[in-house]
Amino acid sequence: MRLGIDEYTSLDSPFHRWDPRYKLIGLITLVFAFSFVRDLRMLLAMVGVTVVIYAVSRLPARFVARRLRYPSLFLLALLLILPFLSGENTLASWGPLALRQEGLIAASLIATRFICIIITGMVFLSTTPLLTNVKAMRALGLPDIMADMAFLAFRYLQEIGRDLRNMQTSMRLRGFKERRFSSRGLRTLAWLSGSLLVYSYERSESIYKAMILRGYGHAPHPQDEFHASSKDTFTLVAIIAIAAVFIAGDILLGHDTASLLQ
Amino acid sequence: MHIPDGVLPLPITGAGYAATAATTWYSIRRIRQRENYRQDIPKASLLTAAFFVASWIHIPMPPTSVHLVLNGLLGALLGYYAFPAILIGLFFQAVMFGHGGLTTLGVNAMIMGLPAIIAHYIFRLRQWRNNGASRKRTGVFGFLAGVTAMGVSVAMFVGILLTNLPAELNVVSERAAILALATAHVPVIFIEGTIAALVTTFLQRVRPKILDGV
Repeated sequence: MRLGIDEYTSLDSPFHRWDPRYKLIGLITLVFAFSFVRDLRMLLAMVGVTVVIYAVSRLPARFVARRLRYPSLFLLALLLILPFLSGENTLASWGPLALRQEGLIAASLIATRFICIIITGMVFLSTTPLLTNVKAMRALGLPDIMADMAFLAFRYLQEIGRDLRNMQTSMRLRGFKERRFSSRGLRTLAWLSGSLLVYSYERSESIYKAMILRGYGHAPHPQDEFHASSKDTFTLVAIIAIAAVFIAGDILLGHDTASLLQ
Repeated sequence: MHIPDGVLPLPITGAGYAATAATTWYSIRRIRQRENYRQDIPKASLLTAAFFVASWIHIPMPPTSVHLVLNGLLGALLGYYAFPAILIGLFFQAVMFGHGGLTTLGVNAMIMGLPAIIAHYIFRLRQWRNNGASRKRTGVFGFLAGVTAMGVSVAMFVGILLTNLPAELNVVSERAAILALATAHVPVIFIEGTIAALVTTFLQRVRPKILDGV
């Protein structure tokens, strides 16, 4: 599986230069505001803001397309089912199948919010290295245990992934057919998972010894890793203001998909 | 089995974050109560990474294949470390592959993490009135931990999804949707339980120390 970690963090854009702590606060505020929106006019505004955010980030379109591929499968299933299951006003019918207005509107609402949130999240998170994001979260109050776990898990993810690929290659060379279901095959795959756990557990014992030798648990974490400029603060205020406009605008406009029916 | 962004309303995603914050706080409190808890962090972290990688293994289920969730096994082996481990795994998935969601991170963490803690307690029962659990006993409780965790996760996933769609489903449609989603997941629940049983008996034979928990 392709991890595609930190592929585009070296590009240069206002999002790449923004303080990661402020970027995380801005992201959470904006995506929650997006998830609140139900009115058509605000949905259209949301699409506009998302397009501007994406354009400013300079991330390539193929990266966005790749990221949208997996989650879109669930969404596609929902979009295909909902217009036929929900609502009373029939728009068209084919035998027992009836396309319903309310279901179609709900499906459009979900799809628009989904695409806008995922693209916004991608821009905010993919313009900073993943480990810097974890450091920023720690600076914002993430417990040390979780930050340490995230650093270590991330550090060894690629190595354990390589172990898995090597073991799978060995299995195939010995005649294991991955695509055929059998109780023996299931047992082999369980043992494969078990072997990964054993290797990782054994590796963790030597890692702990190495960490202790380097003073783990005694050296304080650096506190002044991030420095925000007035530009960073201004950008955060602007993003929070945009989020507030979405929430206030949606409430003023009725916070209802009913506007779509008129 | 992740709920993506855009599906759930703000009060539910907000409540998901609040519940996740509270459960994380409680899990970390339980971890810190242990003597020399720092020693366990590398073990928990590498097992988290190993579980993340193991979830890429596809189990053939003709005409398709499924990938493992392993939250029951994770709970059985990691105990209270399981909840932070799942939260970290979900965050990595959201950032690396766009799986799951950012606004739904809290809800998804509860769907996967809470059953993992239940699985931890179920798996501990294997030593009830029997200090050295036999391989058969380990397998049975491994299976129960895997099946229960996945079953509870599916029930939470279906319940949260269907009651919070921004569309009213009539009673017949809602029943049909619940039945279809639940039926589709039954084989996955049993595969998760079987894998958990096979892995725990494998570990008991190869490295029994891992079963004592992190």
